[in-house]
Amino acid sequence: MADGHEHVSCQAVVELVTDYLEQALPPHEAALVEQHINFCEGCDWYVDQMRRTVATVGRIEEGHVPPETRDMLLAAFREWRRS
Amino acid sequence: MIAYKFLRSDGTSPFTRFAWPVPRGEPGDWLEAPIAPCRSGIHACRARDLPLWVGRALYEAELDGEIVEEPTKVVASRARLVRRIDAWNDNARDAYTRMCADRAHELAVGASPVLKDWDAVIEPSIREGPALLGFVAARIAEARSGVEAYHAERARQTAWLVERLGLEPS
Repeated sequence: MADGHEHVSCQAVVELVTDYLEQALPPHEAALVEQHINFCEGCDWYVDQMRRTVATVGRIEEGHVPPETRDMLLAAFREWRRS
Repeated sequence: MIAYKFLRSDGTSPFTRFAWPVPRGEPGDWLEAPIAPCRSGIHACRARDLPLWVGRALYEAELDGEIVEEPTKVVASRARLVRRIDAWNDNARDAYTRMCADRAHELAVGASPVLKDWDAVIEPSIREGPALLGFVAARIAEARSGVEAYHAERARQTAWLVERLGLEPS
């Protein structure tokens, strides 16, 4: 994941964002991600959007999803797994 | 232990968005959190870490309780913000950014062959602020002379900040 001795690229941040937000990265890697976020406005926005999405979607329970929306999501994920 | 903390303009942490109790004529309230580096605990900078975490507002922090020193930060179980370091203002941020940009040009053009690709990104990066310019200068130093040069450039940036802001070196 490293771009050079101790740096991460924007692409690496995108790849690591889930583990970062779930606090699953080793501390050294998390620190490198945060150093990148600190100077990269695009990645800062991206990570913040992901954080907000997780916070919002995490509050939705299955019963809150209308049946037609549920069917559309399931179809989309099935198609995504085939592609 | 005295350390430093960069926050956003609104007093929130740049990563967790936690709203810190900032000093208002007297130190802010103490915070407590169990330590787990990058996960839990109160994270702060030693002077030598400042260039890595440069942000909008800088505070002096008092750390207490269990304190763990990491390679690029320090984590404590208890801390409070003592005072805002007013010297880290728009003028200082601009001066630091310009210093890093000038240094980056010097390193890129002085390289043989000239690091043209790196040199071209310096001026457009200035509007992104001091954290990026510090990184660009250090990465050019690394591209030119290896990882030790990266760390040497970061140390140079630390020295500039310590002198300009009247901080205690770490």
